[in-house]
Amino acid sequence: MFEEILEDIAQRNSLREVNTSLKLAVGLGGLVLCLVSTGYVAPLFIALALIAALVLLARIDAYTVAELFVAPAIFAATGVIVIVLTSGGVDPFWVWQPLSWLSLSVTPESIDRGFLVFCRTLGGMASLIFIALTTPMTDLFGVMRQCRLPAVLVELVMIIYQTIFLLLDHLVLIYRAQLMRLGYSSPGEWIRSFSTLAGAGFIGAWNAGEDLIRAREMRCYDGKLVILGEVRPVAARPLLTATGFLALSAALVVLTRSITVFPTVP
Amino acid sequence: MHIMEGFLPATWAVVWWLVALPCLAWGIIQLKRLIETDREALPLLGVTGGFIFILSALKLPSVTGSCSHPTGTGLSTVCFGPWITSVVCAVVLLFQSLFLAHGGLSTMGANTVSMGVVGPLVGYGIYRALKNTKVNMFITVFLVCAFADLFTYVTTSLQLALAYPAEVGGVFSSFTVFLGIFAVTQIPLAIIEGVILALVFKYIVQLKPEILVRLGVFPEARVMAAHRGFANAA
Repeated sequence: MFEEILEDIAQRNSLREVNTSLKLAVGLGGLVLCLVSTGYVAPLFIALALIAALVLLARIDAYTVAELFVAPAIFAATGVIVIVLTSGGVDPFWVWQPLSWLSLSVTPESIDRGFLVFCRTLGGMASLIFIALTTPMTDLFGVMRQCRLPAVLVELVMIIYQTIFLLLDHLVLIYRAQLMRLGYSSPGEWIRSFSTLAGAGFIGAWNAGEDLIRAREMRCYDGKLVILGEVRPVAARPLLTATGFLALSAALVVLTRSITVFPTVP
Repeated sequence: MHIMEGFLPATWAVVWWLVALPCLAWGIIQLKRLIETDREALPLLGVTGGFIFILSALKLPSVTGSCSHPTGTGLSTVCFGPWITSVVCAVVLLFQSLFLAHGGLSTMGANTVSMGVVGPLVGYGIYRALKNTKVNMFITVFLVCAFADLFTYVTTSLQLALAYPAEVGGVFSSFTVFLGIFAVTQIPLAIIEGVILALVFKYIVQLKPEILVRLGVFPEARVMAAHRGFANAA
């Protein structure tokens, strides 16, 4: 699961050189439009448009993008089942009341509500994945400083970011060594191996983190790691594309706000 | 546990952000004080954050628009208290949404409240109640971690129920359904997480007891007695 995190893909995508603020505006704009949309057409359009942008513009492997959507789509679909069963409505297709305070039913209104939540989740996830796959975390550090977030918070963000990679390195090495020595071979062994992995990885990463900070402090590090953020001017074509996408999405939010799966649902 | 991007209606996403922000502000003030007085706590802060990131990325699907996984916040709660833990959790949630597409940005307020505020506060209450009693240190850590995990899920269920109340029975009915579904995966996971983090704590006592003494996690006499016990057994 940790062999390749989204950060690795973000470092080599074809939109890497596009202005960071512009990419954030597209991702966050899409996300907000999905949240305020009361119809399912706009979130569905945002999801499809951003997936197309990832595959065609960022040149990220379609299989990788599809793989990223599988888990959220399953979680969203199963979550929507609860909403459909408990939301209620008039003219039910199916009703079951196992307890006096619990009634499960499927109605046109509940299907409509569930489908809207499903589409909103897909659109929101597409916006999030767009930011994650096109904007490396190292670019976001510069944005955080520009937004004047507290220095102590930015320092914590950087320390945790570095420690995640130190920890992953330790855990992968220890895990492989454990597998070669028949670790995880039974349920009892699993608990023992996993806690050894966690404990040894924790201590190893902690020591490595101490070494890292000590080495920096010897070079006058005082909590502010200076990063020379790359200046990427806003080019005309990406700006037009982003503006067109956001304007079209906003128009769809307004124009399709009353479109429902069942025309009878108000 | 992490509620996915887009799953909460806009109003509830904003409400939970408004609840999370004062907690984060207080956590940042405490974090600033800690770093100014003890910069050596930085590597431990980093590693507890990294640990929360890894543990809470091990997700199992759950029928709630969410998923089940360990939270790993108990250890940070014991070492740094609930408010600094809330800041560490918020950073981890940001990384998880951007590195693993797990959770979301609009739902980060709700996820911070459940995993970074309520869970650690409950865990911290247990820790304070048991810290100076005769209860074994490792049992205390087990209880803190297990209950911090469980109450994270109770809060997530409440957040989902408030956003999507049932037509019959309202929020209570919906809360029961969400909680019932989470319980299947989360009760065993909380127990396993408690056991694993208590064992991790054992490693820290064995190898680096001085940091626990310096942070005042447990009385020095108890930590050093446990450390000597492990050294003699080896």
